[in-house]
Amino acid sequence: MRNAVDREIPERIGSRAVRPFAGATATRNEGDKAPRPQKWVYERDSKLLSSIDQAIEATELSDGMTISFHHCFRDGDRVVNQVLDACARKGIKGLRLFPTALFPVHEPVIEHIKSGVVSRIEGSMNGPIGAFVSQGNRLAEPAVLRSHGGRWRAVEAGDVAIDVAFVGAPQADAYGNATGMRGKTPCGSISFSTVDAQYARKTVVITNDLAPYPVHPMEIQQGWTDYIVEVDEIGDPESIVSGTLQLTKSPTRLRIARLTADAVVASPYFVDGFSFQGGAGGISLAVTKYLGDAMERAGIVGSFGMGGGTKLLVELLHRGLIRTILDGQAFDLDAIESLREDAGHVLIDPGLYANVDSCGCATHMLDAAFLGATEVDLDFNVNVNTHSDGLLLHGIGGHQEVAAGASMTMITVPTLRGRIPVIVDRVTTVTTPGEVIDVVITERGLAVNPRREDLRERLAAAGLPVRPLEEIKAEAERLVRPIARPVFGDEIIAAIEWRDGTVIDVVRKVEGWT
Amino acid sequence: MEIRCGSEAKGDCLVVADSDAGPKIDVSTKGEQLLEAGLRAVVEETLEALDATGLSLEITDRGALDYVITARIETAVRSACPKTAPIEPTVERPRSERDRPRRSRLYTPGSNPRLLAGVDVFGADCVLLDLEDSVPPQEKVAARILVKHLLAAVPFAEEVWVRINPLESCGLEDLAEVLRGHPHGICLPKAECEGDVAQLAAELDRLEKEFGRPVGSTWIMPIIETARGVLGAAEVAAADPRVVIVAFGAEDYMRDIGAVRTSAALAYARAKIVAAAAAARAQSSDTVYADAANMAGLIEEANQARELGFDGKGAINPRQIAPIHRAFSPAKDELSQAQAIVAAADAAEKQGLGAVAIDGKMVDKPVLDRARRVLKYAEKLARGGGRDA
Repeated sequence: MRNAVDREIPERIGSRAVRPFAGATATRNEGDKAPRPQKWVYERDSKLLSSIDQAIEATELSDGMTISFHHCFRDGDRVVNQVLDACARKGIKGLRLFPTALFPVHEPVIEHIKSGVVSRIEGSMNGPIGAFVSQGNRLAEPAVLRSHGGRWRAVEAGDVAIDVAFVGAPQADAYGNATGMRGKTPCGSISFSTVDAQYARKTVVITNDLAPYPVHPMEIQQGWTDYIVEVDEIGDPESIVSGTLQLTKSPTRLRIARLTADAVVASPYFVDGFSFQGGAGGISLAVTKYLGDAMERAGIVGSFGMGGGTKLLVELLHRGLIRTILDGQAFDLDAIESLREDAGHVLIDPGLYANVDSCGCATHMLDAAFLGATEVDLDFNVNVNTHSDGLLLHGIGGHQEVAAGASMTMITVPTLRGRIPVIVDRVTTVTTPGEVIDVVITERGLAVNPRREDLRERLAAAGLPVRPLEEIKAEAERLVRPIARPVFGDEIIAAIEWRDGTVIDVVRKVEGWT
Repeated sequence: MEIRCGSEAKGDCLVVADSDAGPKIDVSTKGEQLLEAGLRAVVEETLEALDATGLSLEITDRGALDYVITARIETAVRSACPKTAPIEPTVERPRSERDRPRRSRLYTPGSNPRLLAGVDVFGADCVLLDLEDSVPPQEKVAARILVKHLLAAVPFAEEVWVRINPLESCGLEDLAEVLRGHPHGICLPKAECEGDVAQLAAELDRLEKEFGRPVGSTWIMPIIETARGVLGAAEVAAADPRVVIVAFGAEDYMRDIGAVRTSAALAYARAKIVAAAAAARAQSSDTVYADAANMAGLIEEANQARELGFDGKGAINPRQIAPIHRAFSPAKDELSQAQAIVAAADAAEKQGLGAVAIDGKMVDKPVLDRARRVLKYAEKLARGGGRDA
């Protein structure tokens, strides 16, 4: 069947029946949320275990179960690999891995797939695991990729029942309160695991810093935690957060950032109480900086900036240019320190941040957002999951909910990456539908979605180089010979869910090239 | 003989040509399946254009644009087989208006593919591809071929210029190569006297004929950057009708006269250049501001230059273009004042009145002329497609 972004979607994918994407807000999920397990612990000192192996025994982890992880240690994570190695030692097979995201550091997962320890993955795959899975016939069922909010929703809806949640925690007490903001290797919040810890049949906190009761803030609460394990290492601090994130130095990227900030300033949203989401990418950081200066010049105070918290966002808070930071994950040490110290720096979990099946999440309050993409097409559809070669290489993150929520969603991309055009006729994979994208901003000018004629007039009147997307595309294509296109077979590698649980696209196996 | 050209830096490609081996063509790139066919097509077309057969070529691509690959291959093949004739690309670039706005001239090193990619997007009134100071001696040949192919591949919305080396070093070779790419104009560094410009103009006459361009269509921007140049500014500016703008280069001039770079030290040269250009009905462009991080300093210097009578200023970083354009564009009140003056003059003419008055104050002819010039200039800026930096 064809879904609302004209993608061919099968009626079943693996063992699940597919609900096709019907439009950004067309599907309203009904019924009650899934029940949570009844738990009961009375004793003070019964939760502490001595090893991950012991935790596997205590939770009765066995073949075919679903285990979950957060990605807050990013490419420095040591938890996933340790747990899977322990599972392999115990001869457990057929696990479904349910992380918020996997990174290149998790490359050993490939061996566990080959040996049958892991047979399914539902979660973002950044890098080598995605490339491996893309070869086809590697997993028992196609992978499922969800956004931050979509994953939270799936747990609450019972789409995914977690058997054991493993929660890496930079600091925890022996009764199971845990935080990411203190300890030897802080990572910012670990609230990506909040929903897992509440819904999982068993929850295990793994920490390298067992501290006296009570540890706080309590992103993970004692009432949800069955066991605590102390280990030597949970992550490599060098790769968990950056010391200082670098602003891009590339003149073209800085131009994109400048145009983006100028577009925001020219928009009707740039008034007192203005809000925006910025990321940790080089362009995003530069836009955040430019916007701060523009707010200062205009005498505007923003209501909130949404993170990934970064030093630049924290500076805006300290300069009094935004009243609040709503922070789902911290990208550098300055952001973590500010989370601990600044009253206006507010920790939010992914449910509050992005869950559509609620009475409203924080992204719905955004005025402006600037997001990246691997490809954008002439219908303004955006791909962040695959590259033009068809390989699954990136996760969704909060892309869908930020794009859907913000009044003005801008995709900031160079027209070419090396010899590969970024603006294409039709994206390889639809992650986020064009109906929620307002402006595409490139070094060769801005293209406004025809749906937003009001915005187009406004930006053009401000003297911004507004052009048809086709024209920008053609200008870039003049500089490089056309690239080959992958030919896709029938085998489905992964399903891409829209934030409401419908399937917006599937990634198929590459069979050849044209 | 084995020749290497280009590099494995991002945005470039390394070409190794061997006239004694082959024939074979090896192409390696990241993402072979996506890119290899396209790369091979570029390689084959380039070899055909060079009429080169039977040599061995190894190309390692690092995300180079087509024109970079073509340029690298041409450079390698021409050094390996010196009898090879240069490629003459097809270029359709209309000549530019003599009197168009030239508020900014953005310098970019002609040897660096990464910096050259996208050089057309920053909205500079004059993009200046440099073959002189920013290009090391061993890269001069590769740079002029790269600039030629860039000129052919990129349809610049505004003006594109090439700064060649002084004619007594390798400027003539630069010229013969890059004129095949039909730049709007040529910047002549260290211009000192009428003869310097005349020699360049004569060479342009010859090459325009050879490459089928209208004779006189390539503009000249002499750069005054020596003590002799400052003293000879008037004859340089008036030397040839091709001279549409005279630029000032302060760094070399300071060294030449042994001064420290203060606005007082530059005052004489600046005033002289502005007057020399104005007398020759040419524009004038102030020196670059070298500290790209200091925006306040740039704005101050640009405003000063405007007050001195300059029409524009040099930029070494794209970020400098917007402040420069602001400094050299008519301000809103200036524009409305000019409109009022011209409207009053038109009304007076209709009524057959000889004198023009606004609010009872007489308007002199020079003031009226100035107002008309401001309006004409503003109209040109608007017609430029509103491409603001």
